[in-house]
Amino acid sequence: MDHFNLHPTSRAYHQEVIILKKVQSLIALLAIVLLFVGCTSPSASNGQQETNNTSGNEAAPKVRTIKHELGTAEIKETPQRVVVLEFSFVDALASLGVKPVGIADDGKIDRIIKPLADQVTGYTSVGTRKQPSLETISSLQPDLIIADWKRHKAIYKDLQEIAPTLVLKSLEASYEENVASFQTIADAMNKQEEGKQRLAKHEQIIADLKTKIPASDAKQSVMSAAVRKEGFNAHTSSSYGGALLEKVGLTNAIQDPNEAYAELTLEQLLNINPDVLFIMKTDGEQTIIDEWSTNPLWQQLNAVQKKQVIEVDRNLWTRWRGLVAGEIMVEEAIHHLYSSKPAAQ
Amino acid sequence: MVDQQLGALHQRSRKLAFLMTLLLGVILFGVGLLLNVSLGTSDISVSTVIQALFFIDHSKDSLIVQQIRLPRVLVAVFIGANLAVAGAIMQAITRNPLANPQVFGVNAGASLIVVSSTVLLPQLTQQQLVYSAFLGAALGGLIVYYISDGGNARPAYLAIAGMTVHFFLSSLTQGLIMFNENTTDSVLYWLVGAIENRNWNHLKILLPWSIIGLVGAFLLSRSLTMLSMGDDMARSLGARVGFIRGFGGLLVIILAGCSVAVAGPIGFVGLLVPHIVRLMVGSDYRYVLPCSALFGAVLLIYADIISRYIAYPYESPIGIVTAMLGTPFFLYLAYKGGKSHE
Repeated sequence: MDHFNLHPTSRAYHQEVIILKKVQSLIALLAIVLLFVGCTSPSASNGQQETNNTSGNEAAPKVRTIKHELGTAEIKETPQRVVVLEFSFVDALASLGVKPVGIADDGKIDRIIKPLADQVTGYTSVGTRKQPSLETISSLQPDLIIADWKRHKAIYKDLQEIAPTLVLKSLEASYEENVASFQTIADAMNKQEEGKQRLAKHEQIIADLKTKIPASDAKQSVMSAAVRKEGFNAHTSSSYGGALLEKVGLTNAIQDPNEAYAELTLEQLLNINPDVLFIMKTDGEQTIIDEWSTNPLWQQLNAVQKKQVIEVDRNLWTRWRGLVAGEIMVEEAIHHLYSSKPAAQ
Repeated sequence: MVDQQLGALHQRSRKLAFLMTLLLGVILFGVGLLLNVSLGTSDISVSTVIQALFFIDHSKDSLIVQQIRLPRVLVAVFIGANLAVAGAIMQAITRNPLANPQVFGVNAGASLIVVSSTVLLPQLTQQQLVYSAFLGAALGGLIVYYISDGGNARPAYLAIAGMTVHFFLSSLTQGLIMFNENTTDSVLYWLVGAIENRNWNHLKILLPWSIIGLVGAFLLSRSLTMLSMGDDMARSLGARVGFIRGFGGLLVIILAGCSVAVAGPIGFVGLLVPHIVRLMVGSDYRYVLPCSALFGAVLLIYADIISRYIAYPYESPIGIVTAMLGTPFFLYLAYKGGKSHE
């Protein structure tokens, strides 16, 4: 009664042969299609060159060991050619006055926030953050790669073969973790002093901004949410942006120490009912808010009644998670809430 | 003479079983509907729900019932009915117990084309995406139909061929998502099958196609019964086999396609429901189809309730719930099907 033992004359055997043949013909078809797709898509870069022997041995460089999420990296002297695979690392390098040679910018140069655009001109795009091109990275002959713990864990070994690699927390990481990543980058760039100063400046900016919020207003609950065509993704108190807003004294409407993000329905939003709602969206994009705002229930929201629904730039508010971006974000939030200008809805 | 009497008796007992099943379904449906509308982020009492259903007032609870929960549960009802009936039709025209939109690559095909359309033609409206879903459903279904020898292959072969195509198409979808992270980031959630945030607009998209598909299926039910007895038998009874297959396939594409366009590929409804229904009312499709529609709706109404409590206070996609219920059942059928063909 073994159904794998098929006799060549049995009907099942014939059936299997037919099916196999059909599968073969489909695979052939598929191969042709893939070949076609592969030929038409832009090739990433010229071939890999010798990357290892860039620094000779004669200088006897000082090797520093930097600890990161997946181990340690041996860094010789001060890295000159740095490739970064997440935006917060661009922010960190810019804060330290370093221009990265390569950035995983999702192939879109306008993803670089305006205040930093001038400081990083002339970089090479190494593809998307999700799927950076190893070939392009190695063609840049970097002496340091900074990768994200969430996204690039799996390619850590490949990156290491190209250059010493730091794997740090950025995506879905908390505010503290992002600050820690900044410090590690400062260490790796041999700019400990600059790093300390920059952090002190950051603290000062945040403290100054905090004074602009009337003490009586701390009770207002604030929610920031990334909106898309199909979803409403609220950032909780443990998200980067949420934590930063809390730091200046704005209470996040969702206090959740574990989950940084919460996908909400209109009903759940009504239930939480924040006083202030920052809508993080990409300009000109259709979002779920277009639909929700036509619903009579939308008018029942506190934030709507108080005219405190504020549209902000999703790129700056959610994708960057750096010191510079964070400072601008808080400033924007406070400007919208407490300047005489009426808040735009 | 005795045979005839027995036949008539048999007929009558079938009819009785059908009516009892229908009654059970209607009770479950009614109770589920009320529960679904009253349970959630904030529980609303059943009396408020009933009041909100029949009177227009502008209190917050009534608005929640009218504007959020009612359209959502109706979307669940129609998608459940569509997918269950699509599954039943597929099982009849392929005469294969494992056939259903998920295993036949129909859902995966529809998802692939819907995701490609959102990437390539971002200006498409939801109404237009329905056509992408139809195209994709046809594509996925035809590939599996072709490989599995018109669905005549042994159930296990069909499952393997179907799942292979399913995973292949899904991997293409994943690839698209990976390279277009930004245009597709709302797609990820949808891909598991989700009906939250569905409102009257979605229902408006779904309704005409559902009615066409369901009415078409009921009209075809007698022919499907003949077909499920085998091609030769069906031909000798005067059925136009090719036409029934083609028309049935078209109905599957409409029913599964519009459901995927609105709520993503919710799996296993088309497998689970028709089998349970057949256990209760037998294999006459005049009984199987209406009961499948009813119990498909019932399944999704309750699955939707469960999806609110899995990761409370956050909601989970309904597709997770149907997969949890459906997977063991699928394995059981595959095992049983493998045995009976030895």
